[in-house]
Amino acid sequence: MFPRFIQVVQHLKNLERSILLSLFGHPPKELALAVSVNQQPKPTPKAFSIHDLIGDGFLLAVPKFRRTVEKRLNRKFGWPEYVWKPFVPKTNLKTCHECGHHHEQGRLCGNCYKKIGKETKEIQGEILKKLGSGPIEQDVIVLYEGETLPDQQKEFWKGKRIVEMKKERPQWFSKNLLQKSTQQPSKSTDVKPTDLA
Amino acid sequence: MNQAEVSKLVSKLRMNIKPEHRRLKNLKGPEGRIDKLRKTVTGLIKFERIELNINRGDEARQYAERLISEAIRHGDCHKPTMDMANFWLLEKQLVHKLFKVLVPRFENSTVSYTKMIKAPKAQNTEHTNKIVLELRGNPYPDLIVKQPNNRLWIQNVLLDAAKYDYRQSKISEIAANIGKDTQLSSSSLTANNKGGTQKEES
Ligand SMILES: [Zn+2]
Repeated sequence: MFPRFIQVVQHLKNLERSILLSLFGHPPKELALAVSVNQQPKPTPKAFSIHDLIGDGFLLAVPKFRRTVEKRLNRKFGWPEYVWKPFVPKTNLKTCHECGHHHEQGRLCGNCYKKIGKETKEIQGEILKKLGSGPIEQDVIVLYEGETLPDQQKEFWKGKRIVEMKKERPQWFSKNLLQKSTQQPSKSTDVKPTDLA
Repeated sequence: MNQAEVSKLVSKLRMNIKPEHRRLKNLKGPEGRIDKLRKTVTGLIKFERIELNINRGDEARQYAERLISEAIRHGDCHKPTMDMANFWLLEKQLVHKLFKVLVPRFENSTVSYTKMIKAPKAQNTEHTNKIVLELRGNPYPDLIVKQPNNRLWIQNVLLDAAKYDYRQSKISEIAANIGKDTQLSSSSLTANNKGGTQKEES
């Protein structure tokens, strides 16, 4: 802080000097001291050049002033209320009861949501195709391949539109490991495969 | 009081409403905001499940709830309700859906007509807060499963096997100790009897 202040003061002094000199010029010679000096030939001063100093080398940008400890720590760690740079462990993670992946508390599981979202989009497309652009007057029931209507009274099914999906009901987590899964096996050759059955 | 009851004028929404409305930035101002919300309500009624930013979703949800509750309350022969449906549903085929599909579906329901669930956050993001807005009773697979099936997790299978092992070992231990137990108890009984007799003698 202090060296920076001294530098600013020096700049101001220089500025004042240059302004005064340009406005009023030098003080009159009558006010100067009369000194008798043995006149000797002055050596002509050599013009200063930065190349005399560095020669073939080059200059790097370097800090002019010292940074305070507080500033250095703030740059290193941030500030807890704004940007806190060190890693902080999350305490709101939970395990999904369906698939076992981790997800934030109070939010959907990412893995399950990805699958359900994909299926939802497919069904939406199928329903839109079926209903067309006419007035929608019937509720929709989605049936997968090989499925029959659940046992209900006939009035329940009255006035309902059945939308058939041309595939088996996705069984994301098969009950028996020997049972056939309806998910297609992955074809990707990545090291870490995704979307496995 | 010569005043009508408020509850009879406006149907109460079955959801929490923030004291102040959420801000939806729009170049056109309030008009653009309403346009945005109209599109969202139309989409919700059409697709029954959509993903949105939380501000837009929460605002549109209130209008959708109000629209459905008015439709249930007044039916399709009520002029103001019909106008409202006409205004909020940009695709006119959905007006039919509102009165002929959604009204019978929600007639006897005691909970809200829509559901708002927080969607998973993308990793290492701070500001995106997405939600899934859906109508209840939709034909899609459930987002929240009430009876989770986690018996098949590998850790649960291993734990079950470990429990089974532990029980088996305990049972065999007990079976081996049955004979010894009877011997011990009989010997202690005899010892007690001896003590008793001694006391009686003294
Ligand atoms: Zn999951």
